[in-house]
Amino acid sequence: MRIRRLFKWTRFGIFAVFGVIVLSTSVLCIYTVDTELSAEYEINAQNIAKTIADSSAGILLNQNLATLQSLVDQFLAVQGIRYIYITSETGEFLAHTFVPGIPEEILASDHSSTEPVERSLPGMGDFIEVGSPILAGVAGTVHVGMDLDVVALKIQRAIGQQVYLICVILVLGVLTSIWFVNLAAKPLAELLAYAVDLARDGERDDLAEREILARDDEAGHLARLFLHVARQGTGRGSAPGVTSQE
Amino acid sequence: MSMEGSFGQDSVGSEDWGPPVTRKSLMRGGLAALLVAPWTASSLGAGGAGGGQESGDSEAEAQGRTQGAGATGDEIVLGVSAAFSGPSRGLGAELYRGATAYFNHVNDNGGIEGRRLTLKLYDDGYQPDPCVQNTMRLMLEDKVFLLFGYVGTPTVTRVLPILKKFQNESIFLFFPFTGAQPQREPPYGDFAFNLRASYNQETAGLVDNLVRIGKRRIAVFYQIDAYGRSGWAGVRAALAKHGEKLAGEATYSRGEKFTGSMRKQVEILQGVSPDAVICVGAYAACAGFARDAVDLGLNVPIANLSFVGSENLLKLLVEGRLDSEKYTRLLINSQVVPSYEDTSIPAVREYRELMARHDPKVPEELIQEEYTPFPHSFGSLEGFLNAKLLAEILRRLGPNPDRAGLEEAVFSIRDFDLGISEQVSFGPDRRQGLQRVYHTVVDNGRFVPLDDWGARFA
Repeated sequence: MRIRRLFKWTRFGIFAVFGVIVLSTSVLCIYTVDTELSAEYEINAQNIAKTIADSSAGILLNQNLATLQSLVDQFLAVQGIRYIYITSETGEFLAHTFVPGIPEEILASDHSSTEPVERSLPGMGDFIEVGSPILAGVAGTVHVGMDLDVVALKIQRAIGQQVYLICVILVLGVLTSIWFVNLAAKPLAELLAYAVDLARDGERDDLAEREILARDDEAGHLARLFLHVARQGTGRGSAPGVTSQE
Repeated sequence: MSMEGSFGQDSVGSEDWGPPVTRKSLMRGGLAALLVAPWTASSLGAGGAGGGQESGDSEAEAQGRTQGAGATGDEIVLGVSAAFSGPSRGLGAELYRGATAYFNHVNDNGGIEGRRLTLKLYDDGYQPDPCVQNTMRLMLEDKVFLLFGYVGTPTVTRVLPILKKFQNESIFLFFPFTGAQPQREPPYGDFAFNLRASYNQETAGLVDNLVRIGKRRIAVFYQIDAYGRSGWAGVRAALAKHGEKLAGEATYSRGEKFTGSMRKQVEILQGVSPDAVICVGAYAACAGFARDAVDLGLNVPIANLSFVGSENLLKLLVEGRLDSEKYTRLLINSQVVPSYEDTSIPAVREYRELMARHDPKVPEELIQEEYTPFPHSFGSLEGFLNAKLLAEILRRLGPNPDRAGLEEAVFSIRDFDLGISEQVSFGPDRRQGLQRVYHTVVDNGRFVPLDDWGARFA
């Protein structure tokens, strides 16, 4: 149907607009989720470190290291946390979760620092480590290592789900738009066909009984107008410029 | 579930470790308390078990709850959560066998004031979470009279806050198979009674003797959990008394099997050139470490604590080996009960006789993996002594056993003769019955007393 060519650019335009929306939304989503989730995981790690620090003060003062280790072990079950260690105010390791031993990089680090630091531990992976002081640091420091691979995986999964949803909305939106465009094109095609018939032979009786004349929309009005004009011009032959091919 | 021929009427708990379907709210409350209580225990108020007013109950109400709980007209039910599966299953099995031998003897002779002693058993696989769930089930659903014969520090450490939470119920843990400090010290020391010597005493004994023969650079190989840390802390404290520090440390994860490699741990310790290594672990991992240490040329004394399960350790090292002597000649095993080979000890004679007579078996329902028990072992002897002392305590409760009277009954134990030449005493400030530590080495495929450290290792 040639009439549908009129909507070719419309469809393209719809697709382009939707594409831009999806692309920009996805980029924003990726940026937001990545930033927010990374910060969230870091804050979670800091909160856990603080919780351990607050809980372990009394335990440390009683030198109840088995209970301290038990406390640490429970927090290790939190997703994303790969290691925890607690050092005394003198830097001695009082509890930790490393197997088969404490990595050299951690042994050599500043144990009193609580600033977030990214670590790459051989054989273990990449981590962001946060710390929290125990009794303002006079009783030691708690350090929590979050596995960056796990965090990245979580972020990728969250982004993937959002982008997937946006893409589904894009496809549904485009298909729906095309359907609506086709819906609008159909009466125009019928009108075109009717106009062609009128141009060929405006005197045919069946031309006054076509369904399109009964339509109560612009196509119906135009069809009735075409018929009226055609009947007024009877005896002057076919309309000029109208070919049978059209 | 009736277990005829074993313990009269042992009942075996389900091994489904999922949350119980009944009394959910109570269980949730208890588990929530478990997560919170360990770290806030001191804020819950002081006072011994049964004496607290945590929920505002009157003393009479509290006593009313304890009367008849776990003790009916014809039986007293004891709750057990222990390792009957996994790489440490031998520990739970041996402890159970020894205890059962004595309880069978008691039941065969009329029980305690006419009541049979019944064990309600659950398997926790030496894992804390199942142990917590088992304990809640034993207390709230099975309503046992007391908890008995638990195995392991990581498990017991997590159960102690539950006992604190339910202190008005006067539920006590008797004679756990662990020498850790949490159940010996505030804030949880009031809820457990220990028979065996502590890990601090065991590690001090090892360190003192090693230092005495010139082995001052001592490293630790330990299980990375509460048990390992407890032993680590004991070694550290004992070394400090000699002006020394730990020469080095290496760790392994709980549940490690003998087939796993410990070469990395050995290499870490080789790097610090220790004079001796003290292992704080279970038998499978410690045997693996001893094997790899010898194979990699770390030929120094390797000491183990009593928890290791000496016979199981030895079996792993010698079974199927023609050259097993090289793997065992440098072993030193600390023990908290005398040698079961020493038949001059009355309790040992009684133990051997009752083990032979009853030959207790772990209920089949609890067996997931094959385990061949030993005719005699340090673990089963300890279980036997635990049971013997518990039976005496229950006798002292009189004809109407009430949990509220347990503490008083325990404290009435003064200079009690268990038959091992060491008197047992308890009191408000003494919640550990035995203090003595024994040291053994392997000779001719058996653990024998170590008398001369210098001659053996210098």
